[in-house]
Amino acid sequence: MVREAESFGAWLGRQLRSKGLSQAELAKELDVTRAAVSAWITGRAEPRLEKIELIERFLGLSSGASVNRSETPDSTNDIGWYHRPAHRDGGRELGNAAAYAFDSDLTVLAREATQNSLDERFDLNRPVRVRFTLHELTGERLHRFLETLRWDELHDHFEAAADSRSKTGRILSNGLRELREKGSLVLLRIDDYNASGLTGPEYEDGRFAAVVRRQLDSHKSGTAGGSFGLGKATLWAASQFGLVMMHSTLSEPHEGRRERRLIGRLDLPWHELNGQQYAGPAWLGIPDPQRGGTSRSWWADERTVEELHLTRGSGEPGTSFLIVGVHRVTPEGDDEDLLMTMHDTLVRSLADNFWASMVAGHDSPPMLEATVESLRNTQTVRPEERVDPHRHQPSRSRAVQAFLNRGTVEKITASDDVVQTKVILSVPPRKQERQGRRGAGTVDHEAVLLITPADVEEDNRPNRLVCMRGNRMVVMERVVGDLPVGAPPFQAVLLAGQAAGNSAADAAAEKFLRAAEPPEHNDWKQTEDLTATYARGAITRLREFRKAMLDGVRTVVRPSETTPDKAPSALGELLRLEPPSPNPSPKHPTIKSVSGEVTSDGAWEIRAVVRLPERQDPWIMRPVLRFGTLSGGGLLAEWSRVDAESGCEVTEDGRLWFTPGARTAVFRGVSEVASHPVTANLAIAEVDLVRAEVTS
Amino acid sequence: MRKLFPYPVLVGEVDLEIRQARLDDVPVEFSMISASQRTVALHEIERTSWQTAVLEVRARVPRRELDSGPWTNVTCAAMLFERRTNVRTVFSLTPEQSGSWVGEVVLHRDRHLGRAELAVQVVGTVGGVDGRLIGQDRNPWTIDLLASTPAKKHGVKMVWVDFSSEENAHLLPFRTDPWAVDTSGDEPTLYLNKRFEGLEALLGSGRAADRDVQNLLLSHIAKDTWTTLFNSAVQSVQTDDRGRPEWPGGWRENTLRRMLPDILPDHSPDDALKEIVTRLSNDDGGGDLHTRVLHAAAVQARLTRNLGGFVRALRRSAQEEDQ
Repeated sequence: MVREAESFGAWLGRQLRSKGLSQAELAKELDVTRAAVSAWITGRAEPRLEKIELIERFLGLSSGASVNRSETPDSTNDIGWYHRPAHRDGGRELGNAAAYAFDSDLTVLAREATQNSLDERFDLNRPVRVRFTLHELTGERLHRFLETLRWDELHDHFEAAADSRSKTGRILSNGLRELREKGSLVLLRIDDYNASGLTGPEYEDGRFAAVVRRQLDSHKSGTAGGSFGLGKATLWAASQFGLVMMHSTLSEPHEGRRERRLIGRLDLPWHELNGQQYAGPAWLGIPDPQRGGTSRSWWADERTVEELHLTRGSGEPGTSFLIVGVHRVTPEGDDEDLLMTMHDTLVRSLADNFWASMVAGHDSPPMLEATVESLRNTQTVRPEERVDPHRHQPSRSRAVQAFLNRGTVEKITASDDVVQTKVILSVPPRKQERQGRRGAGTVDHEAVLLITPADVEEDNRPNRLVCMRGNRMVVMERVVGDLPVGAPPFQAVLLAGQAAGNSAADAAAEKFLRAAEPPEHNDWKQTEDLTATYARGAITRLREFRKAMLDGVRTVVRPSETTPDKAPSALGELLRLEPPSPNPSPKHPTIKSVSGEVTSDGAWEIRAVVRLPERQDPWIMRPVLRFGTLSGGGLLAEWSRVDAESGCEVTEDGRLWFTPGARTAVFRGVSEVASHPVTANLAIAEVDLVRAEVTS
Repeated sequence: MRKLFPYPVLVGEVDLEIRQARLDDVPVEFSMISASQRTVALHEIERTSWQTAVLEVRARVPRRELDSGPWTNVTCAAMLFERRTNVRTVFSLTPEQSGSWVGEVVLHRDRHLGRAELAVQVVGTVGGVDGRLIGQDRNPWTIDLLASTPAKKHGVKMVWVDFSSEENAHLLPFRTDPWAVDTSGDEPTLYLNKRFEGLEALLGSGRAADRDVQNLLLSHIAKDTWTTLFNSAVQSVQTDDRGRPEWPGGWRENTLRRMLPDILPDHSPDDALKEIVTRLSNDDGGGDLHTRVLHAAAVQARLTRNLGGFVRALRRSAQEEDQ
């Protein structure tokens, strides 16, 4: 276990707090002054050995516990749910407003959760690793899991909350019904490794409180993708029960510990149970005596973690979110399909949104690695699958990789070349800056524009521009129109803000563009944040930038020289010389279809269907058999016999006399072997009709 | 005409992709290669003295069909062909992964003149016979040695020139004409006379009021052009040793194929060509042939629609003046 050296005083202080004891109580018990206890805790003095033994006994710890600073075990028996009482003013929240900002589907969840993990990357020289695990539980395992969750304590609350007429209530009652009827529960676990983890104190400012205790607190800065603190709401919105368990390994110790910090949070709507009114939110943890029994996070033992299916794969810092009862994508169909569909949805969403974050260069590791795995009762259904950007987005990934490897070119000459140019974004000054010091003006940011020919086999739509900033998450995809005829299909990528570099201008652009993103982070447009933060002209600068990026693509894609064609284009339309498209209903007889084979004596035996246009007079045509040649009109062969099957008669000289008014006719023919220019087996045969000249 | 193979052939598509083109080992811009137009333009203004062009190609074949079919010893080859020079060069390709074949196609400049075609063929053993063609690219590539943009040249070249200037001595005899059509060479050219007063201004006008006159004038020019093109094309038709007329290829063939269905609608294109050549060689002046040619040219030039529009506009403006 990773453990920092900790002073005795800090340890003692925490033990008292966790037991809900005051310094005065300890002083009285040990028969010392309060000042002495205070001196121990602040580290000004240390107690003598016999006092330490008394302290350990008083705290119910084994002898020597204070030496190795071992903890009061957070007994599993103490764990319980704390439900927040209803507001005294009678206010009721019938759902989490933040959760309504998003659609509760897996695509959005994967995007928001992964964006959060990217923002919390700890060691910036290594990728943050995100693992999605779908796990379906049934039978005994489900029973044990629910037991560890203290489901019994929750059940009445669920029933009470499901009663309400809100959307959340309906989702909840649907979830409860499915759990009852199907006897199965799908868990979605989202782990990140090499991330900060839920650090910080229980209630004060910090990552832990931002995620567990607060709404709309983003606790983010810099290149962070998220900035609204809305993304985490998707975790709860993805659960039919509004229930998410969290297990975090911290990057910086809290209370001297890093591993197995656990807490659960439940988001129910307002409800009333046994005459008591509840606000909705509830926390699973150990009671905090100093906060009137509120549940606080606990340091769990390994067995509890395992029973909650929250065991982490390594000691690296990061957080595991366990979404209990994730919404089923397909309500119908068998469960095998369900897991497969959800698995594919997750892979697709990760590939679509984060392909660029997952691309590595020679000397730059990817920012992100993502995997998806599906289990049923701990047995593998779909093995862990690493999302490979080059498989899902080959040409775009190639473009970003070439940029990272400085392998871009000035001119595209091969189908895998990547051209790099720049697009200027003039970042206007912030309002405060302008007031603060005069002269703080506009800075020009050079965004990187990458263009590469689209892969032939790629299923992406070509001629599109994908835009992103610092964390290389896809912000938007734009269609590039007005392209010259014959321009090869391409894919373009715009790296803006700190995706382009690390200069001051890049950082300024990063902030500017983040302000221009709506909560979904899927556009750069006029937002209230933008107009509130930046000086006049911000909207115009953004509009110019949006236009400049498309122009930049067109400049590269357009063939370098175009001959000015000043003649009116309408005349060009009238003088088009390409071959005519085949006439679907020609005004002359045509062979509609022909079948046949070479017989054992080497003759072609064919049957041909003729399409006849409407005409009063009978059509008279001669059937022709030719042996195809690579060029030219083919070599003629003769018929040994021609027979009419329907709609025609055969004249004495072998012509076809089609019945007047008939629209189709069928004839059969056998070739004269002696007239074959080559063996029938070795040539392509062509059957045709020509106008029959009157043979004199 | 319908084709029959005496052995099983591939039903799935065979496709050729050109990944890079190099002139004497220096790559040309990728925009000179257009997959949608299936054309490669090899002409660069500043590099006219190249000797060889190397094209890196990849062919795709329907692998599942090939694996499950009766074919063995399957190989794939790219074939370069130019009609004008009748040069045919075959390059065998090497299998890469999953149903694709790659290789280089080398085009020697002194063996080609203008436009070469590049297609892929799949060959295999079927029914005990080796080297049978079992599949080919339905839509061959055009390698254009003279073009600087990879667009298929299917149009009449149009240029504004001063018919009276010394540089255009060949147009001097027509200096009073508004336009002239030149049908010599690989690409027909329509010359529009800059000196003809008001012509350029009228055709270049963006005013809505001028639109109907403009369209009528364009139809007129187009009808003249089509008639000239047709006459020139028909004259160029040669007959083979059995006296059958051969399609002339290039713009001439396209002109004939576009117009013949309107000239002799109840004839198949082959029959129509034969009929026209016969009529022109007879002594009776071709009968109603010339009338029919004018009709077909008017169809191509959309004369009916544009004249109709003009007449209606004229009537409208007459009414306005009456009021």
